[in-house]
Amino acid sequence: MFFGKKKNRHFQALGLASMMGIHLVSGVIVGMVMGYYLDKYFGTKPWLMLLFLIFGIIAGYRNMFREMQRIQKKEAEADVPDNDEKD
Amino acid sequence: MAGGLHPIFLVEEAVKAIGLVDAHGHSLIPGNVLYSWTFMIVLILVSTMATKKISLVPRGLQNFFEFVIGSLEDFVVANMGEDGRKVFPVLATLFIYILTCNVGGLFPGSDAPTANINTTASMAVFVFVYYQYWGFKIHGTHYIHHFTGPMIWMAPLMFPIEVIGHFARMLSLSLRLFGNIRGEDIVLALLFMLAPVVSTVPMYFLFMLADVIQAFVFFMLSMLYLKGAFEEAH
Repeated sequence: MFFGKKKNRHFQALGLASMMGIHLVSGVIVGMVMGYYLDKYFGTKPWLMLLFLIFGIIAGYRNMFREMQRIQKKEAEADVPDNDEKD
Repeated sequence: MAGGLHPIFLVEEAVKAIGLVDAHGHSLIPGNVLYSWTFMIVLILVSTMATKKISLVPRGLQNFFEFVIGSLEDFVVANMGEDGRKVFPVLATLFIYILTCNVGGLFPGSDAPTANINTTASMAVFVFVYYQYWGFKIHGTHYIHHFTGPMIWMAPLMFPIEVIGHFARMLSLSLRLFGNIRGEDIVLALLFMLAPVVSTVPMYFLFMLADVIQAFVFFMLSMLYLKGAFEEAH
């Protein structure tokens, strides 16, 4: 019905695309905060923070990459001309 | 709203009027909690009204809700398969509740509960716990393979990355919704100071669209995370 239409698939891709930036940033932030508190707990300043920052950056890019794959799939679906629906 | 620019919050004033005030003249219950209660009451009333006289040929309110819930269910089942029906009530509740909160913030004298980070963070934490719960329920201890990546020798490297990735989902879900709705409030308040009514009325239409998109994105991402938890690990 409403969400299955061709126009609305672009709308969904728009929603996903608006998440790209924040996905990247939130991975980095979570990694760094986790490392910071682990450092405080174990007293190994600053090594764990650096390690987890790198993990966070990788995780952020991974999340963004997955999101991009999803958008590409959605766009490919939306661009396929379907015969049963007209809009 | 935006640094005390909003002139009056009706529900907060009502609570103050019945005496729930602290020493500084603020209401004892925070504004976002009050308004989320208000919108919950509105939703409960509307849904009881819609389901009071259920007929086979839907009319009026029942027709509207059947349309909304039917299209959401189609969407979930199309994306998740038949498994989606198990979690559909939660997802639809999230969508309708967030949409009501977002749009409710546009009414004068009211405030969007989702413009406060505590409301959005609580919903994001709930989604996180819920999809991890389903993951454990379906896969048992094998759910750990979702975190270890495709190759076993890479597991020590992949595990922290995946854990950070999962926690980052929580942060991005809550921050995005909060930031968008809060930003709307601030833009409305500032525009109202610059050019009252003339500039704010067109913005209302833009913000109504943005509210629907934000509610839909929250719903869709929760659905995608649940779908990820339902799938077998690669």
